[in-house]
Amino acid sequence: MAVIEVNDLVKRYGRLPVVNEVSFSVEQGEIFGILGPNGAGKTTTVECAEGLRRPDSGSIRVLGLDPVRDGRELSHQVGVQLQESLLPENIKVWEALDLYASFYRAPKDWRELLAEWGLADKRQARFGTLSGGQKQRLFIALALVGDPKVAFLDELTTGLDPAARRVTWELIKRIRAAGVTVVLVSHSMDEVEELCDRVAVFDRGRIVALDTPANLISAVDADQHLRFRPLTPFDDAVLTGLPGVVSVTRSGDRVIVAGRGDFAGAVTSALARDHVPVAELRVEQHTLDDAFIALTGRAFDTQER
Amino acid sequence: MAGFSKLAKVESKLLLRDPGAIFSMAIPLFILVIFSGGAGPGDTALPSMSMTIAVGLVGLYMVPTTLATYRERGILRRLSTTPVSPGALLGVQLMLQLVFAVLASAVLVAVSVVIFQAAPPARVVAMATAFLLGTSAIFAVGLLIAATAANGRAANGIGVLLYFPLAFLGGLMQPKEAMPELLAAIGEFTPLGLFRQAVHDAWSGAATQPLLLAIMAVYALVIGLVSARCFRWA
Repeated sequence: MAVIEVNDLVKRYGRLPVVNEVSFSVEQGEIFGILGPNGAGKTTTVECAEGLRRPDSGSIRVLGLDPVRDGRELSHQVGVQLQESLLPENIKVWEALDLYASFYRAPKDWRELLAEWGLADKRQARFGTLSGGQKQRLFIALALVGDPKVAFLDELTTGLDPAARRVTWELIKRIRAAGVTVVLVSHSMDEVEELCDRVAVFDRGRIVALDTPANLISAVDADQHLRFRPLTPFDDAVLTGLPGVVSVTRSGDRVIVAGRGDFAGAVTSALARDHVPVAELRVEQHTLDDAFIALTGRAFDTQER
Repeated sequence: MAGFSKLAKVESKLLLRDPGAIFSMAIPLFILVIFSGGAGPGDTALPSMSMTIAVGLVGLYMVPTTLATYRERGILRRLSTTPVSPGALLGVQLMLQLVFAVLASAVLVAVSVVIFQAAPPARVVAMATAFLLGTSAIFAVGLLIAATAANGRAANGIGVLLYFPLAFLGGLMQPKEAMPELLAAIGEFTPLGLFRQAVHDAWSGAATQPLLLAIMAVYALVIGLVSARCFRWA
């Protein structure tokens, strides 16, 4: 069952369309990624689904409700973490959770959330004294305190150090395990690759691809490279005829095999069959970065806002 | 409404943790204590001034800074994704700031009368009316600052910048008899000047000047509507 359905969504700022005929649906219980460079229309799309912005045209249904018309009812069933939202400096962690819990019909026990999100010892701490990671965990806990069916999380690990990101990722997986559908807005490839069941890739206000991260990567139509150092001499012809292999080149004592599809498996079994032991075998796999370049013809990081 | 009372409770804790609240109480009290030596027993002018300073600080400094900061930090926006509307937070804040202004004024009245032998307020109902209308007018100016300032720091700056000329014109820096005539005349029609005069009239037992009350009501209404019109939630 689709939890979120977006059809032909258009949102303009002035005359400029920021979101241009975007359609997608999010299924119950998945982590759905919205990936793209800054300014691609990701946040605007999600804010339309949250009821914060009114679409210029197109339709959105979240849990069967219209986010603008049925906003009050919907707000009981969704949890939101906004990209640039803070709390008052002087509010204490428990006060914020207790306050937000009081907004909802059937809130979770915020004391449990406090423990679950590793904030139990920060209960009395003021918001202004928390670290970046602690603030993010508090925001996620606040998004979940109303016991939502859908959680929208926007750029939640931006600015966190690698260890804090890892911790946060594990916690997001736990949200899914609890049966909550998660919409994750991100401009971070590794985050999306790690967490998302499906990803909509946004570029310039449109969705340029929508699939699982694995399928997006395998759809990249470009050579991959396999490098190794042979420990005994062998003839290149052993490899050049193999299915998928495009070229075999040597560089010093290294051999570089370019190919497509599952050529790596064919290469390693051919080497094994001919008793060629190898060292320092590396497969350079495609990543979502390559997928993005392949889809848009541009590198991901060079986008300006 | 459970959410509403919890909101009021948390917001009042935050208000009391705000150093601005301490300033808004301490500065008028300080002025009252320092200058009361020069005021004879039975005086009502200095206490009226100190009360105007307190309400001016709350309305022109605390109200805009708090509200603009809430917008800047995305708190109003975040609330609009919950079942509680950001308007509720705005309402709770204004209510609490009003309560705070009332309490600060009550302390100033008590200290003036009990410690410095000022005359007790002569006409309590007239004083309450003047207080409510004047506070509404001053809060409306604060709301306008909150509505138009880009962020909390800007609101703070505008509030402070506006406070000093208004306090001067309102006769809070020196008695209006000592001011140039033209400035004193203009000052009578500024929000702080109106507040001070109307409260002083009621405190001292002088006749109520309906014109002053009417102007304050008009200020509250017109400036309040304009700021509601320009208020941005995000």
